[in-house]
Amino acid sequence: MKTGFFSKIAVENLRKNTRLYIPRILAEAGLLGCFYILLTLALDSRLSEALGGSYLKIFMMMGTVIIGLLSFILILYINRFLMKQRKSEYGLYNVLGMEKRHIIRILFCESLYTSIISVIAGVIFGILFYKLSSLLICRLLRAEIVAGFYYLNIVTVIIPILIFAVLDLLAFFVSCVAIYRLKPVELLKAKQAGEKEPKIKWIMLILGVLCIGVGYYISLTTQSPLEALMLFFAAVLLVIVGTYFLFITGTTFVLKCLKKNKKYYYYKKHMPAVSGLLFRMKHNAVGLASIAILATGVLVMISTTVSLYSGADDTVNTHYPQHLYLSVNLKNGNEVASVPSDRLEEIVRKSADANGLEIKSVTGEKSLTVSYLMQDGRLLTKTEVSGGYDMENLTNVVYITEDTYSRLTGKRLSIDPQEIAFCRIITASYHIGDTPTSLTIGGEKYHIKEQLDYFPVDVSSGMIVNTFGIVVSDEDILSGIYLAQKEAYGEFASEYADRIGVSFTDEQAAFANGKALEKDITEKIRSLPYGELQYNLDTKWEALHNILDMYGTFLFLGILLGFVCLFSTVLIIYYKQISEGYEDRERFQIMEKIGMEQHEVRKTIGSQIRLQMFLPLVTAAVHMVFVFPILLKLLNILMLSNTMLFVICTVITFAVFACVYTAVYFMTSKIYYKIVH
Amino acid sequence: MEILNVSNLKKTYTTRLGGNHVHALKDVTFSVEQGEYVAIMGESGSGKTTLLNLLAALDKPTSGKIILDGNELSSVKERSLATFRRNNLGFVFQEFNLLDTFSLKDNILLPLVLSGTLVKDMETRLAPIVQSLGIDEILSKFPYEVSGGQKQRAAVARALITNPKLILADEPTGALDSASSADLLRVFEQVNKTGQTILMVTHSTDAASHADRILFIRDGVVFHQIYRGESSNEELYKKISDTLTMLRTGGERK
Repeated sequence: MKTGFFSKIAVENLRKNTRLYIPRILAEAGLLGCFYILLTLALDSRLSEALGGSYLKIFMMMGTVIIGLLSFILILYINRFLMKQRKSEYGLYNVLGMEKRHIIRILFCESLYTSIISVIAGVIFGILFYKLSSLLICRLLRAEIVAGFYYLNIVTVIIPILIFAVLDLLAFFVSCVAIYRLKPVELLKAKQAGEKEPKIKWIMLILGVLCIGVGYYISLTTQSPLEALMLFFAAVLLVIVGTYFLFITGTTFVLKCLKKNKKYYYYKKHMPAVSGLLFRMKHNAVGLASIAILATGVLVMISTTVSLYSGADDTVNTHYPQHLYLSVNLKNGNEVASVPSDRLEEIVRKSADANGLEIKSVTGEKSLTVSYLMQDGRLLTKTEVSGGYDMENLTNVVYITEDTYSRLTGKRLSIDPQEIAFCRIITASYHIGDTPTSLTIGGEKYHIKEQLDYFPVDVSSGMIVNTFGIVVSDEDILSGIYLAQKEAYGEFASEYADRIGVSFTDEQAAFANGKALEKDITEKIRSLPYGELQYNLDTKWEALHNILDMYGTFLFLGILLGFVCLFSTVLIIYYKQISEGYEDRERFQIMEKIGMEQHEVRKTIGSQIRLQMFLPLVTAAVHMVFVFPILLKLLNILMLSNTMLFVICTVITFAVFACVYTAVYFMTSKIYYKIVH
Repeated sequence: MEILNVSNLKKTYTTRLGGNHVHALKDVTFSVEQGEYVAIMGESGSGKTTLLNLLAALDKPTSGKIILDGNELSSVKERSLATFRRNNLGFVFQEFNLLDTFSLKDNILLPLVLSGTLVKDMETRLAPIVQSLGIDEILSKFPYEVSGGQKQRAAVARALITNPKLILADEPTGALDSASSADLLRVFEQVNKTGQTILMVTHSTDAASHADRILFIRDGVVFHQIYRGESSNEELYKKISDTLTMLRTGGERK
């Protein structure tokens, strides 16, 4: 037989099965497009230059890998589904006298054509949407839009094509195995075989309940961000496993209980639905659990990234009450000293003048940050602790004098030498217990006179460690503490931080001239006649740039991956509805013959499908509610503390998702009814 | 008492593009007495299935009347047709048509559940029927776990449970082996003895020879009928074969 013959049959087959193949082609094209976009964003040197973004490359690369894995799973899933639907067709060829190798030739042509169409469509889609994506990235990162983003790199075109070609080839081989296993006689009988009612798998049920329970428990009870970070992935894993287990066997359990209740079960509306669902869930549990997990994933990704991004300005404003912070330390042999603040102020004023910026206010702050281990209301240095110690008890304390405090806040505390004012700045671990009424530092006991809500010195070290702020009465006490820690830690001891904070009258001008100002200040410091020095110049614009760089990249990735997950969900729903339709057709007809009215049949089947389809959505909502507390803790690490913003973002994301889901459900159920009738 | 009266029934199918008319039933008239066991025989394409579909109210006649226990089928409203069917007719199909998601018990109870019967009443009705059909031991099994004969018994039980006025059986032995067939025909006889009216469409001479009366349909008309009279099953079998031979060799109507 000639090749032309097979390819003709293949084309005809594809045409006949557009209902099955169009979504497959769309899926592959979409995935390839996203893959292309992420890969190109990662490798586009002009873009990373324009953005100066360091996160972009790494996160886009990560995204590429994720999309690759997702494509792998999804395409093989669809392929398996297609094979299942078309088995009888291939079986018929076999019965009509075609050899299996001939069928495989047809299959090869089919695979080749779909693959070529998908890949070409995907590349076109990717190239078209690349410009949009790069514009979106620039917008999100508030970078200037550089003209000429028509970036075309042969490498970023070839790689996705190769990867997806290999993927298609793999799918083809899997199908070949299925064809070789095909026994036409079985095909003819298969429909009549019937199948066993699912049994309750008790061990799985108990494990499922345990996994979900423990996962939720972790989320609800974890208090500190540090623990949240460590336990989050464990909780996610537990909930995923639990979801699968509960979908597989929990549903069977509930339905069997309903069935045992005769009064409930032997009722017109319940009997067909309960026993129908029992079998449906057996077939679909894994798919539905996957939908539930994907849905939860979409919700988590989009709601967190959106709230992080939209909270970026807020975050920077809280952490940077002033525009510029500068501290300089001199190193003279083993002696380290801060350059006094009036000296620093002078440098900044000169540079500001040179750049045409008007200074609104300057505050000087002298602080000392010391690490301790906290034990029973005592702050201990390393030498005071015997034996090993627990990271949980590690505590940083930032000291300032009352004088500095009142200068920065304008408030007087009037504390005595035996008293301190205390503020919890970061609580990473709640092991340290409630705030005591007194603290022992270096053998001296200090009474806590006042609890402060706000500590004027910024300590954003980027570390998730318990951090307290303590205001002491005067310079003498501070230097006592300084000397004590100097003795304990030796060359690792902390130094005073003499820092000034500067505000400019015109914020926009400061942001615009920021780079030049920084350069000027840096040069001036370098030319100071002191030998070796360390300086720390921390500006609000730089912080905003960094945070936007990170969260903007997060958001872009969140949106893209969110869309891909949503798309996958839609696809799984679509194929589910189709396969259900073919399975239900016969059942439908029997019920009508026995004397169930058509609209009744429609109603019971409709309610089963609705229940089955909306179970994942409800599950996702429940997961979201329970995962919320731990997500909030994690966002705290990323410096987002606006709970309301996160709640709103989550609710909106869920609402949008539910609408899309429902719309997809209604569209696909039309196809379902068409098949059934 | 007459339970079913069919007069001048006609059914014409028109092909989709118009033009061609196919006369499935030309002019069928017959009646069935209460408690009678009637078999309808005919070649493929003779109009048997069309007749059965019309009797089951699954399809509407082009003209003519069907009166079941005093009710004219065409006067039953479309909406209550399914209920009417459920309350007055019992069906036994060639392919059993048991739902594979239900146990035999649930399959048998399904019509009662659909009618909204109380659970208590269901049990009291179920017991005698399944006992007389000999399937009380296997009620909790699923259709795929039992033999074809047992499936068909369950289907008969399902047909009987609503106390229908008429049982319509469409080739009930068609998917059974000879032993199960013989078995099922005994069941039908036994059911008929309790006063149940049965109308059976069949190809099988053996199946038909158990009936009280056999109607032969050819080319859309009732061509011939045989009464059992005093004959035994074997004698009736002989008569039926002779008639079939005659029909096949194209003999004229007697």
